Amino acid sequence: MADIVFDQIDKIYDNGFQAITDLNLEIRDGEFMVMVGPSGCGKSTALRMVAGLEDITEGELRIGDERVNEKPPRDRDIAMVFQSYALYPHLSVFDNIAFGLKLRKMPKPEIREKVEYAARILDLTEHLGRRPKVLSGGQRQRVAMGRAIVREPQAFLMDEPLSNLDAKLRGQMRAEISAIQANLGVTTMYVTHDQIEAMTMGDRVAVIDRGLLQQVATPRELYLDPDNVFVAGFMGSPPMNMAEVTVEHDGDALAVQLDNGRIAVGPALLDRRPALRDYVGKRVIMGIRPEDVKECAEHTEIPADRRLSVRIDLVEALGSGIEVHFAFPAPRPDQRTGRELSEEVSVVGELIGEQPGANAWVGTFGPRSFVRNAETVDIALDTDQAYFFDLDSGLAIRH
Amino acid sequence: MSDNAATRAIDESAFQGRSGTQRGFGGWFIDTGWRHLVAFAALLFALFPVYWVVMGAFDSSGSLATQDLVPQDVSLDNFRALLTDDGHPPFWTWFWNSMKVCFVTSTGTVLLCASAAYAFSRMRFRGRRSGLMGILFIQMFPNSVAVVAIFLILQRIGDVFPALGLGQLSSLVLVYLGGAIGIQTWLIKGFYDSIPHELDESAKVDGATPFQIFYKVILPLAVPILVVVFLLQFIVTINELILAEALLRGNESNQTLALGLSAYVNAGFDSRWGPFAAGSLIAAVPVLVIFYFAQRYIVSGLTAGAVKG
Repeated sequence: MADIVFDQIDKIYDNGFQAITDLNLEIRDGEFMVMVGPSGCGKSTALRMVAGLEDITEGELRIGDERVNEKPPRDRDIAMVFQSYALYPHLSVFDNIAFGLKLRKMPKPEIREKVEYAARILDLTEHLGRRPKVLSGGQRQRVAMGRAIVREPQAFLMDEPLSNLDAKLRGQMRAEISAIQANLGVTTMYVTHDQIEAMTMGDRVAVIDRGLLQQVATPRELYLDPDNVFVAGFMGSPPMNMAEVTVEHDGDALAVQLDNGRIAVGPALLDRRPALRDYVGKRVIMGIRPEDVKECAEHTEIPADRRLSVRIDLVEALGSGIEVHFAFPAPRPDQRTGRELSEEVSVVGELIGEQPGANAWVGTFGPRSFVRNAETVDIALDTDQAYFFDLDSGLAIRH
Repeated sequence: MSDNAATRAIDESAFQGRSGTQRGFGGWFIDTGWRHLVAFAALLFALFPVYWVVMGAFDSSGSLATQDLVPQDVSLDNFRALLTDDGHPPFWTWFWNSMKVCFVTSTGTVLLCASAAYAFSRMRFRGRRSGLMGILFIQMFPNSVAVVAIFLILQRIGDVFPALGLGQLSSLVLVYLGGAIGIQTWLIKGFYDSIPHELDESAKVDGATPFQIFYKVILPLAVPILVVVFLLQFIVTINELILAEALLRGNESNQTLALGLSAYVNAGFDSRWGPFAAGSLIAAVPVLVIFYFAQRYIVSGLTAGAVKG
């Protein structure tokens, strides 16, 4: 087992496309690192560079303190699970799992022992004699896992291993992979575009966009304290609501000016982020998570200076809560926020016939709310939990 | 959407079926019957020569002119004339020579083309595209065009290495191999291209060398197309006459089936038609045997090659 270090890595393809720019990242020994980002962001390229399937243009890649840039894949002692599983169709499940061990000329009894052990963990024992094509998607996925496990490699590399499974199986395999990794303690690099996988599985998560590393942190930290507007918008479902607003004085405290009306900034937030005072009179991006948009009728404790009357465009009852969609009276920021990459946002926008330029927001209300479509309701924004970002740099205003 | 379309299609076909029965035989014939007629004509066209040769082999009258559609006198006389009677030709020598040439040529073709196709399909190197185009262009000129050049080359080689000179089966095999590489390489490459690259990559990460990837992953998956290539090459080789005639003419003991039989039937004008048909029938046996053992691969191999090659 070993750590994996990206040291100022660049990747430029032959056609001139720069897939990765100056990537610095350390995956610690035994850590489960998830790389997440929109499609085409370079996360798979990074993974394939660790596997040795892509050349490294610039920089140094180290596995266990050893430079591996020039090492062929077979000498790197890593195992990879592919999105398509890449099982050998002509070999039985047993031979698929044993493939790497046979290549290493391991004695037969030892191979048998290891394969049977892996099959027991993965619940594949009764399928060992069958061909991959008669297995279900979940079973194939497990065979691919088994092939990685028996190698006892320094690191597991997984390239969207769950995206070919249906939703229910995906949830189950998510838990299984996490458990297996925790048991074996093998350093793991896991690539996905699905932020739920990232949040639930990773010890730490690296968010990548357009070849640039945005933030590396624990899932909790990413969610509660995003470095910049992209991470804030990308992580979370439904994604964070955002609007461009002006910061103003409100007595001793601060408020934000909307197109019509203003909202007070929570004092608790101001204590945590005093730097916001430097932005008085300037435009900033304000972000509020859907769960911090509340229904006044249910949350009478929120002061009146953080309330707003809006017309509800769409109500989606989820059982555990209600998602309400409405137009927020302040413009949508022009920056790439990661929000627009969420399929949910654009679909709902289309559904409710959103005006071009209108800023569609989402709030999650309690399951017992009586809000209906086309109703005008009073909502409260819990601005103690709001996020503010610099309009030019997109960086979080923190101190 | 698609459900609706499917239902509509079913409704339509049901409607057509009903109207067909109502219109009687004429309606049925216009809808489907004519296809049976075309199929029957095509079958007749394809099978008649085979039928004629089989009947010729067992018709004891033994000549093309006297053979009937249904032979009057069925016997094994023709086989005896070819194989055992006094003055019979060295048929088994021809047969054995042909088997040697065909098996070595077909096996060699599979080995050469499977490796060449692997390089063309999986490796990226300078001259890859032009190489692929090159072998295709060269393939467009039939070997028989080059027969004079080949004759002269072998003559010169024979001066130095008699074993590879004129009149030798080994040199004939070499010439056949050279002629086969083009189209068969393309056929196999097309099949390789349809094998997902993830399998190579997975094997690579598992620790396989490029050669191990080739024979442990790619080759086993390509068996259908390899069988087809073997079979096609076998048939082409066993039937080949022009080159064999030019290169083996001088050597009586190194005749192939096609060469020996054609000389035999030509020398007798019409009278040796019966034994000739009997010989052709025996020559078809090895091909049939290979077909029998390979048939489960042939359909998948041919279609895969057809789509991707």
